[in-house]
Amino acid sequence: MKKTTLLASAMGLILSTGLAQAETNKLLLTGGVSTIAGSAGGGLTPWAVIGTNATEGEIGFSSYASRVKTQDYSLNGYGVAIGIHDRVEVSLARQDFDASPTVALNGIAPFGISSGEHIKMDVLGLKVKVAGDAVLNSDTWMPQIAVGLEHKRVDPGSLQSVFNFLGVKDSGTDVYVSATKLFLNNGLLLNATLRSTNANQNGLLGFGSAMPGKNSRSLQPEFSAAYLLSKNVAIGAEYRFKPNNLQPHLPGSALAEDDWKDIFIAWAPTKNVSITAAYVDLGRIVSALNPNQRKQTGYYLSTQLAF
Amino acid sequence: MKKNFLNLGLACAALLSAPVMAQSMPMSDALYQSFGQKAGIAKVIDNAVDRWMADPRIQPFFKDAVPQRLKFSLTEQVCQLTGGPCDYKGQDMKAAHAAMGVNKAAFNNLVEGLQLAMDAEKIPFTVQNRLLALLAPMNREIITVR
Repeated sequence: MKKTTLLASAMGLILSTGLAQAETNKLLLTGGVSTIAGSAGGGLTPWAVIGTNATEGEIGFSSYASRVKTQDYSLNGYGVAIGIHDRVEVSLARQDFDASPTVALNGIAPFGISSGEHIKMDVLGLKVKVAGDAVLNSDTWMPQIAVGLEHKRVDPGSLQSVFNFLGVKDSGTDVYVSATKLFLNNGLLLNATLRSTNANQNGLLGFGSAMPGKNSRSLQPEFSAAYLLSKNVAIGAEYRFKPNNLQPHLPGSALAEDDWKDIFIAWAPTKNVSITAAYVDLGRIVSALNPNQRKQTGYYLSTQLAF
Repeated sequence: MKKNFLNLGLACAALLSAPVMAQSMPMSDALYQSFGQKAGIAKVIDNAVDRWMADPRIQPFFKDAVPQRLKFSLTEQVCQLTGGPCDYKGQDMKAAHAAMGVNKAAFNNLVEGLQLAMDAEKIPFTVQNRLLALLAPMNREIITVR
C-alpha cells in the first residue's frame, strides 16, 4: 500500500513539473473517462482508447475522483493515469469500500470484524494499443484494439478473518483485450472487452476461493455503448459479466455475485474536465447481510481532469 | 443525351471502383442538401479556413496557401463528397499534403476548427458527424508524421 502511494506521489510530482504542461491535442472525449479501476473507458469497463488528452507524439496526464453509493454500501475512488503517444497508458487507482454492514458477520461466527470496516484496494493498470484507430477510420469496420492488465491488491482490514475463512487471496491480476469503434456517421461508440479474471466483486472480496468455491480464472465479457448527443455530451449503457466464485460457500444466494450494469451520461464542459453520472445496478453483494437479500442499486459520480 | 452518356460512364467507373469509392461517393445528395447546398458548404468552409488561419497551431501549415483558393478548392471538394453536383479538380489528398508534415495533433486541430465552423453556421450535430465520417478516413493520406 505504502509503495503505491509513494509511486502515485512520484507520478504526480513528475507530471506537475512540466510533462503535462506541453500542449495535448486529442479530440474531445475520445480518450474516454476514468473507470473505477483507473484505466480509460466507460465507468465500469475499460475501452481500447488510451486515456488523457495526449495524441501521437504527446504525453498526457489525467486524474479522477469517483463515488458509488448503493443502498448498503459505498465505494470512493481516486487515481491518476499517464498516456504516452496515444499508445501506452499507465494508471493507478485506489478504492475505498465502506463495508460497515459486514460487522453483522460477527453474529454468525467470531470473525472479530471491526465496526465501520473499510476494504481498500489499489489497482495498477497498464494498457497498450495494438491496432486500429477508434475514431478516424470511419470507412472501415476495423476497431481500435488494446490489451491491458489490472493488477489489484486488496487490504481487507479486520475482514482478513473472512478472507481466510473463504480462502481468497489478497491480490490478483486481470488481463483483458478491448475493441472500441466509433461509428462516426451515427455518433455511436461500441466497445467489447473480454477479461480473464479470478476477482470476487472486482477484487474487493479477494481473488479466487478455497473449495467449495471456484479458484480458477474465467473469461468474462463486458460491453459498452455510447451515443454522442453533442460534441461534449454522451449517454450510454454498460453491461459487465462477472464470475461467481464464492456462492458455493453458503446455502442459497447469500454470497452470490451478479453482473454489473449502468446507464450513464458524460459531459465535458471544457477540454480538461469531464463529469460522469450513472445509475448503477451492482446486483447482490454479500446479500446475506442486506434486508431481503436485496440488489445494490444507486448512483455513480466521477470527475476527471485531463491534460 | 450527352449528359446521359457521361452519367453512364460515371456509373460504370463507380461500379468498378466500388470498394474504394464507397465512402467518398454517397449514393444520394441528402448530405449536400442538409448543408444547404453549395452556398451552405461555402459558408462553412469560409468560416473554417478563417479559423485555421487565425489558429497559431494550424496557421504554419497553411503559410504558403492563398486563403481564397483554399476556400474555393475545399468547397468544391466537400460539395462533391456530400453528393453535390461539383467536380473537384484539385490535387489528391496524398499529393497535397506530402510536404506539409502533418501529425495527428495538427489533424485533430483542423477537425476542431471545422467543428467550430459548423457550429457557427448552425449545422446540426448529426449532420456534422456525417460529413466528418467522410473526411476522417483522409487522415491516412494527410498524416505523414507518425
